[in-house]
This record gives sequence, structure tokens and C-alpha cells, in this order.
Amino acid sequence: MMDDRFEQWLREAARDYHRPPPPGDTPREEMWRAITARRAARRRWGLATQPAFRWGVGIAAVLALGVAIGRWSVAPVDRAPQIVVSSPLAYRLAAAQYLTRTEALLTGFRAETRAGEPGGQFATQARDLLATTRLMLDSPAANDVRLKSLLEDLELVLAQIAQLPAGADREDVQSIDQGLEQRSVLLRLRTASPAGAAARAQGAL
Amino acid sequence: MDERELIARVRAGDGAAERALYDAHVDRVYRLACRLAGDDDLAREFTQDTFVRAFERLGSFRGEAKFSTWLHAITTSVVLNGLRKVKRLRRREVDLDDAAGVTGTRRSAEPDLKRRLTLAIDALPEGYRTVFVMHDVEGYTHEEIGATLGIETGTSKAQLSRARAKLRDSLADFAGEWVS
Repeated sequence: MMDDRFEQWLREAARDYHRPPPPGDTPREEMWRAITARRAARRRWGLATQPAFRWGVGIAAVLALGVAIGRWSVAPVDRAPQIVVSSPLAYRLAAAQYLTRTEALLTGFRAETRAGEPGGQFATQARDLLATTRLMLDSPAANDVRLKSLLEDLELVLAQIAQLPAGADREDVQSIDQGLEQRSVLLRLRTASPAGAAARAQGAL
Repeated sequence: MDERELIARVRAGDGAAERALYDAHVDRVYRLACRLAGDDDLAREFTQDTFVRAFERLGSFRGEAKFSTWLHAITTSVVLNGLRKVKRLRRREVDLDDAAGVTGTRRSAEPDLKRRLTLAIDALPEGYRTVFVMHDVEGYTHEEIGATLGIETGTSKAQLSRARAKLRDSLADFAGEWVS
């Protein structure tokens, strides 16, 4: 009896325990904004930890290192204009990594195109490589006329792949494939890529 | 639209469905977080964390339990883990003398019954307090509590009984309030 009375009293008295605001006063908009912001931040972080992104950052870092070494290695002189000499080793390394990855992507893309429909992962990888291509075009690596011409073709192809929607028409995919064929992009890429032969020999491509 | 369809749409990346699912459950989640955390800023933080985790893990929701049960399980986990961290931080700041005697305070020192009740509930062991708040304050059934906390229904009942007994001891000098 006493227990029942106590429990009844307790329930009533405990209603005020850390009483929340009434349902209409829940700060739902404010919390929703915070939730969407946190999820967007986590997605960005997730992207940043993906291997493709890390490769891009790595290549960009090597390019930046090349520029820095080039500038550092030139003794300051009074006469103008100042000539900036790049570090051939750093650029060659960056270019080799970039070309090997691009070759792998385009080889995979062509293989899947011919087998059926290419997966959505190609668009993501192409977007990543596109940013590096533009970085390469703006760097002294593009002083090489043949490499510059190849980079310009790759920029076009990668932009096309990057913009391919999921479930793209077969015609869109085939036109990219034909462009690759007509401009001998893969052949030129394999010729320019010093690592290509080794990678192919290992069966990676 | 029924909830199963809504969840399928969220899984397919439908932003409007995410918002609809949030709107359907946010009041209850926030309410539970408020009751357990006792601090509005913490309750907001825990509610946001609950939904961020729920949307991320929605792929693992198999539909065997009700969605609300699954969501409230995430809520209690987020809140209890969060409170443990907060307690650890506060323990470094609070003087030992101030922390002692929450349940042993005499009536003359703390005349306000509601304040004493709040302190007594706060001082309950974590498991007792969670079950007490969910059952006696928020009205969950023992079955719902068991599914949410991952404990047997009998354990939930036993913990509630012990929680009430401890509160009764802590508030013994107010016995006239419920005897009369």
C-alpha cells in the first residue's frame, strides 16, 4: 500500500525531472542545419581519405616540390627576366605517377565499355585526375610540346568521362571510346608513361 | 507514405525523405536526450549526433525491430557515452567535498523536495537511472526498454525496482509527502 502510494507520488513528482520543452519548441531547424553540416563535413573527410584523393594530393605535392626545388636551385641574379629552372626529377616523378594512373583508368574504362556499361567509379576517378591534369598543364611539365598535346587530349577525355551520368547512353560512351581511338590517346599515353610497361608486365593494367 | 518506404527512400539518397524521417522522430529523441542529459546544449548535441549516426548506419537497420526502437537505442548509447565523457571532465574540475553527500543531504540543508528528487535521481547508478527515466518519467514499457538498451525485460523490471527503493531511501525524510 505504502509502496503503491510512493510509486504514484514518485511518478508525478518526477515529471519535472529535466523537463524538456514542449514538442512545438523543439529546436528542429537549428539541429537539422547542424546535422546536415556535420554530415557534409564527414563526407568531405571521407573523400579526403580515399586513395584516389590521396594520390591527387601526392602528385600535386610533388609538382609543388618541383617548383620549389627549381626556384631554390637558381641563384638570384640581378638581370631580368629571371629564369626559373624546374627540377627534372620531381616533374618526371609526378608525370610518371599521373600518366600511370590515367592509363589504368582509360584502359579499365575501355574494357568495361566493350564488355557492357562502365561503372560510376570511373566518373569519380576522372574528376580527380582532371584536377591533376589541369595542374600539370599549368606547370613547367607542359613545356614539353608532345606532353602538352597529350595532356590537352586527356583533359578533354577525362572531362567527358567525369560528366557521364549514371546509366549514360551507349552512344555517349561510344563517342568517348571513338575519341580515344581516333586520337591514339592510349598509344601516346603508353609511349609517354615510363612506368606503363612495368605496370603492364605485372598485370596491373 | 509508410515508414518502410520512407527508409527505403533515405537509403536511395532522397534528401526530402531524410528530412521527413527526422521530422517524424526528432521530438522523441530530443525529449529523451533532455531527460537523460539534463542540459539543453548537451541534449541538442546528443540529438544531432544520434541522427548523424542513424543516417550513416541506416544500411544496417534490418527492420526486425521498430525503427523508433533502433533509433532510441542509438540515442541512449550516444547520451550515456557522452555523459560519461562529460562526467570525467567535470570530475577533474569539481572539488571532492562538493561532490559528496548528494543523497545524504538533510532536509534542513535542502528544503526543496523537487530539487532533492532531481539530485537523488541524478545520483542513481547509470543503469537504474536510465530505466527509471525511460519507464517512470517517459512512459516506455519494459519491453521497449529491453529492446532499446539490449537487456532482458526482467532486468529492466529489477533495475526499476532497485531505483525506486534507492529513491525512497534518499527521500525518507519527506515520507509525509506520500503517506498523507
